[in-house]
Amino acid sequence: MTDTPLLRVNQVRKTYSMGLLNKQVTFDLRADFSIEKPGIVGVMGPNGSGKTTLFELITGSNNPTEGQVLVCGQDIHQVRSDQRDRLAIHYHQSYQVRHFRKRRPNFMLRPSSTDYPMVHLFDEPQFNTQDGYIGFMLDFFRRLRDEGRLVVLCVHPNEPFHLQIMREICEQYIFVQKGRLSQAPDFDTLLQNPDVTAYLGDLVGGQAA
Amino acid sequence: MALFEAQHLHKRFADQVVLEDITLAFEENQISGIMGPNGAGKTTCFNVLTGRYKPDRGQVRFDGRDITGLPPRKIARHGIARSFQMMNLFDEYTALENIVLALPEVRAKGFSMTHDLAGDDGAQERGAAVLARIGLAGREHTPASDLSYGQRRALEIGIALAAEPRMLFLDEPTSGLGSDATATLAALIQEIRKSVTIVIIEHDMKFLFDLADRIAVIHWGQVIAQGTPDTLRDNEWVRASNLGALA
Repeated sequence: MTDTPLLRVNQVRKTYSMGLLNKQVTFDLRADFSIEKPGIVGVMGPNGSGKTTLFELITGSNNPTEGQVLVCGQDIHQVRSDQRDRLAIHYHQSYQVRHFRKRRPNFMLRPSSTDYPMVHLFDEPQFNTQDGYIGFMLDFFRRLRDEGRLVVLCVHPNEPFHLQIMREICEQYIFVQKGRLSQAPDFDTLLQNPDVTAYLGDLVGGQAA
Repeated sequence: MALFEAQHLHKRFADQVVLEDITLAFEENQISGIMGPNGAGKTTCFNVLTGRYKPDRGQVRFDGRDITGLPPRKIARHGIARSFQMMNLFDEYTALENIVLALPEVRAKGFSMTHDLAGDDGAQERGAAVLARIGLAGREHTPASDLSYGQRRALEIGIALAAEPRMLFLDEPTSGLGSDATATLAALIQEIRKSVTIVIIEHDMKFLFDLADRIAVIHWGQVIAQGTPDTLRDNEWVRASNLGALA
């Protein structure tokens, strides 16, 4: 492969607004980052911060107001809507799938350049320590990475072990708050962000050491 | 070569990916397990493997033959039976009658046969033999509605076995069973495995870990792990779970 990044979120902006004459922006997500190589990226942030919207923009189910999402160099929003999940696939939380209007018919769009998704976005997977599935899930994330895929794992930690999982498996982090992203190359750097520690609250007590 | 092979199965409902590139192989005379959390795609997988749904892509092969997309009754004719969750029982009929009605020679003759069943000692004998295999000897003349929940589950399996399949698929056989009935069911499966290749789809990990020779773990419509129970158990999170505590 050339030096095309696996995922390029290029100056993406998504706004939702209310009102007709006096239009007011109620939600404004901005994202601009690249992930060059296969890996496991942890995404955290409060509810309503824009994590799921970010995933929808990356998989092409939701259209950005501005900017492009390139998966292996291919603009996902220019790919046939029924083939976008060949590039980037969104594993929804509890099957809560939002549907968006399609902008153009598929015959005007391009086919996907890959057959098995290159980017796998896991939206708040259920981690339950009692049944032991976590171990298989974590090994699966690692296997996808080792096979050259990008894994993006979104977790809203509410138990210390959720943080333990993120620390164990993720190689870099993105923190989303009020529609703004901050990146951290490792867990310790992530915890140096005061917004992150405020968000995690008591959970970091046992983890920061 | 495995008796039953599924290769690169894909299935979508509307825009939702339900199976994503599933490849599985079930060896003859083994018990294979498929497990996964709720909503993982287990039942869709079961339905694609047994012909109820056609995969969007991929191939299903049984004994070297391509059976992809064949309707369930044609798949059954190849020697593959599936056990439904007690949807198949006729409550007003006795256990023996339920089995006799599932015998292939009776089904082949259709409606006209039902008039002569009383005089067909051969069919009754074969039916009684199936009942004995599933531990219901002595219950021949008990109406299905009077059987216990566990016995009804066994009778379901008996109906599937009546056709003498080479391969038997069981969908969530422990659902609704208490611990005693689950243990009885496990013993029944150990008994019938001597003559039929079995695939069990199950969310009860303990049950599968005790019974299966190989297990595939399905989540997000994919095989996220597979191996023998011992290799799957050799995982720190599994060891730390309830399952590990039980093992």
